[in-house]
Amino acid sequence: MLRFLMRRTLGAVAILLVISAVTFFLFYAIPRNPALLACGKGVCTEEQLAIVEHNLGIDKAIPVQYWEYMVGIFAGRDFPAGHCPAPCLGFSFRDNRPVLDTIMDRLPTTVSLTIGGAVVFLILGLGLGMLAAARRGTLLDKTVSSTSLVLSSMQIYFLGPLALAVLVYNTGLLPQPSDASAFTEEPWEWFKGLLLPWLVLATIFTANYTRMSRATLIEQLQEDHVRTAKAKGMSRPTVFFRYAWRGSLIPIVTIFGIDLGALFGGAMITEVTFSLHGLGRLAVDSVTQSNLPMLMGVMLFAALMIVLFNIIIDACYALIDPRVRLG
Amino acid sequence: MSIHTLRRGRTAGVSIALAGALLLGACSSGGGGGAEDGENGEEQSAPEELTSISFGDEAASTGPAEEVPDAQPGGTVNVFEDVPPDHLDPAQIYVQHEQNIARLVHRGLTAVKLDNDGNYTVVGDLATDSGQVSEDGLTWTYTLKEDIFFADGTPITSADIRHTFERQFAPFITQGPTYIQQWLADADGTDYRELLPEGPYNGDHLPDSVLETPDERTVVFHFSRPQNDLPYALSIAGYAVVSEEHDTQEAYDQEPMTSGPYRIEEHRPGRSMTLTRNEHWVPETDPTRNAYPDAFEISFGHSQEDSTARLMADNGENRNGISFSNGLDPGNGPTVMEDPQYRERLVEGYQSFVWSLAINMDTVTDERVRQAIAYALPLNGILNAYGGSIGGQYTASMISPLLPGYQPDYDPFGKVANPQGDAERARELLEEADAVGFELSYVHHTAAEDQQAAVAIADALETAGFEVNRSEVPPETYYDTIGVVDGGYDIYRSSWGHDWLSAGTVIPPLFDGRQIQDGASNYSHLNDEHVNAEIDRIRGIEDAAEAAAAWVELDAYIQEELVAAVPGFAYRQTIMHGSMIGGAVFNDDFGTVDMRRIYVIQDES
Repeated sequence: MLRFLMRRTLGAVAILLVISAVTFFLFYAIPRNPALLACGKGVCTEEQLAIVEHNLGIDKAIPVQYWEYMVGIFAGRDFPAGHCPAPCLGFSFRDNRPVLDTIMDRLPTTVSLTIGGAVVFLILGLGLGMLAAARRGTLLDKTVSSTSLVLSSMQIYFLGPLALAVLVYNTGLLPQPSDASAFTEEPWEWFKGLLLPWLVLATIFTANYTRMSRATLIEQLQEDHVRTAKAKGMSRPTVFFRYAWRGSLIPIVTIFGIDLGALFGGAMITEVTFSLHGLGRLAVDSVTQSNLPMLMGVMLFAALMIVLFNIIIDACYALIDPRVRLG
Repeated sequence: MSIHTLRRGRTAGVSIALAGALLLGACSSGGGGGAEDGENGEEQSAPEELTSISFGDEAASTGPAEEVPDAQPGGTVNVFEDVPPDHLDPAQIYVQHEQNIARLVHRGLTAVKLDNDGNYTVVGDLATDSGQVSEDGLTWTYTLKEDIFFADGTPITSADIRHTFERQFAPFITQGPTYIQQWLADADGTDYRELLPEGPYNGDHLPDSVLETPDERTVVFHFSRPQNDLPYALSIAGYAVVSEEHDTQEAYDQEPMTSGPYRIEEHRPGRSMTLTRNEHWVPETDPTRNAYPDAFEISFGHSQEDSTARLMADNGENRNGISFSNGLDPGNGPTVMEDPQYRERLVEGYQSFVWSLAINMDTVTDERVRQAIAYALPLNGILNAYGGSIGGQYTASMISPLLPGYQPDYDPFGKVANPQGDAERARELLEEADAVGFELSYVHHTAAEDQQAAVAIADALETAGFEVNRSEVPPETYYDTIGVVDGGYDIYRSSWGHDWLSAGTVIPPLFDGRQIQDGASNYSHLNDEHVNAEIDRIRGIEDAAEAAAAWVELDAYIQEELVAAVPGFAYRQTIMHGSMIGGAVFNDDFGTVDMRRIYVIQDES
């Protein structure tokens, strides 16, 4: 198991290196000079523009900049704006603040949105999927299946504003979405503020998990070992949960890991729809503002999350299915 | 959501999020600041035009600010903004959304007062009056009030004022206004920096012959030429006071020492800002800020769709809501303006910006060809791209309707009357000039509204007989692109806004031929002896009304005799607020609601 994890970790580091290099060099393929954004027209002399470029660290060859950036992550760096301790992701071009500080400021929103949404869509998705599989062919199954199909074709940019208009603005049934309160300080306000984003996010994801869990459960229920368990006289719940459900988890865990990693990287549309301040929105703003350090920071963080959750998924495989470990 | 890049004044090369501002309403209260809530009336009316703005004496500069009728102190105002401020250091503040916040936390030597009758007066803010000028107009003297403090309780002295202006020359100051530095150095462009290249940080100071502080309360500016606009210039946030003792140079941008009625209690960059009372602010020293609310909770990242929806819902904390910068979103705009329940919660007026198409005088040398461009330009197609009639109002002047002396009926090419353009007249002129098929190189930027307008412009010009070669650049490099003198482009949009209520911040930067250089804002490359001479003459006129009339006359000369640019429309702004916000009026000087006067209605009865 340890060797397995080490091997996967090394692979993850390699992937992160590739992603960081691609992001860095692609950024400079865009014909934009970030120094101009930090220098009002008619205010800066050419010498000053050069100073701004130096302060931003963009006055060197691109490979040198990349090397210094990577060194900074492990050893820290010194900027004209001050020392940046490891792991240093640089200073924002936009407001000269440390990138890591901004990411850490946005992270609670992303974590709250992701975990809360995941709890809702896992409970609803798996529950409805199991129900539909257990009642296969019935009206309930057909209703759940067709509803899932409709909901899975929904988009957050449509469902979000609709839910806001109906549930918040017109009827006042739900509170105004907000990420102003922290879970540790005002848990009730935190819960109220994120309730609607969770529900909307979960509505989209629930449909996928319902459809997937139904399909895999039905497949598992037809497997030989399940039939054998039934033939041995085991109770229906034991057969369902101990044999069929466990076997159906591997594809669900796979998708869940990917979804979770992506959501930790930022749910951009959800954040914009509900005026939340998470990593997704930060990434988009960084692109439009030509803010390379911020973009790099968010991209690396998002990639780290995806890679990390892939490792966790692989570890879960091993726990769920001993054959993975043997392999 | 779209972000539109405009230029404000002489030096702004930075983005201003004006998405909201571009899709605005054409109803409700007029500008001029006099219309309170509920006075909007049923009939649509154009905002009033200013006739003049006066300079206030010591009595007018004494606080507290005139009481707003029915105002109540206390409560918290929730402000829904889209773009967060990048800068809090006054010297780095120039764009509008940053100034809107700065007006609550920073103070300068002067400020523009808006009274209950809608009159504007430049008054002393930290200073006892709007300034005492010498006979020759070269020396301005300011005396600081007593009982003026920074937020930590340290008194504001002339040393802080000196430091404020000296640090404007420091290399790390790259975003703010440059008017006064240029006047002090008697230099154009960026040459002013040579006067104090390192700022005050290496022990260097401006000589007393330029800036003098003979005692703790006296500040004397010495200029080589009369600078009659100094009281106006001192009122903009970029010249607000900076504490010498607490100046942390670059880091000041994140944690400035404030001096206004509010201090920054908490700032989460990009997310929110909480302003609470500055206990060291003395209302009796402040003639412009009522500062009724106990706090402002400003949150960022609200699209105009979001802020409009919240304010339309008018529920919960949204009832105390307002936006300083977000206008109405295009989807809800018409509904809001039709429905009385929303209309009574709107304030509306002009922004400072005027859309115009600059014509390169170096490459389009035949006046008849330039006239043909002017006749062909379809103002309706252009304005539609920017939100239609609710986004702006046609104008034939480079001078905003907000400025004193504006002539609403001025229309030399008949474009306001016939905004679809006159392709036939344009073709006649081209034929007369033997220039049918004249090739025009046209550059615009990639924002949606600019692209849409470009299609209309190119179509109309081609219909008239031009050949148009379009190219586009990203918004953030747009003004650098058109600022290159030998850039090779013939026509390009420029949206210019005044920095204070004087056309002296419009005509000279756009049309002074002595300022033609890469990066300068004379995009038309107009270098006309009469224009240059008139600019010098008008700058020397002490009487504000006389100067305003002269600027308008010079603008007409440029439009009719030289056709260096074709004005299109004046941008408008409509601000909505919640039902528990009172005292909201449009401030022509700010181009948005006057945040200094608003209050939270405490008692609904």
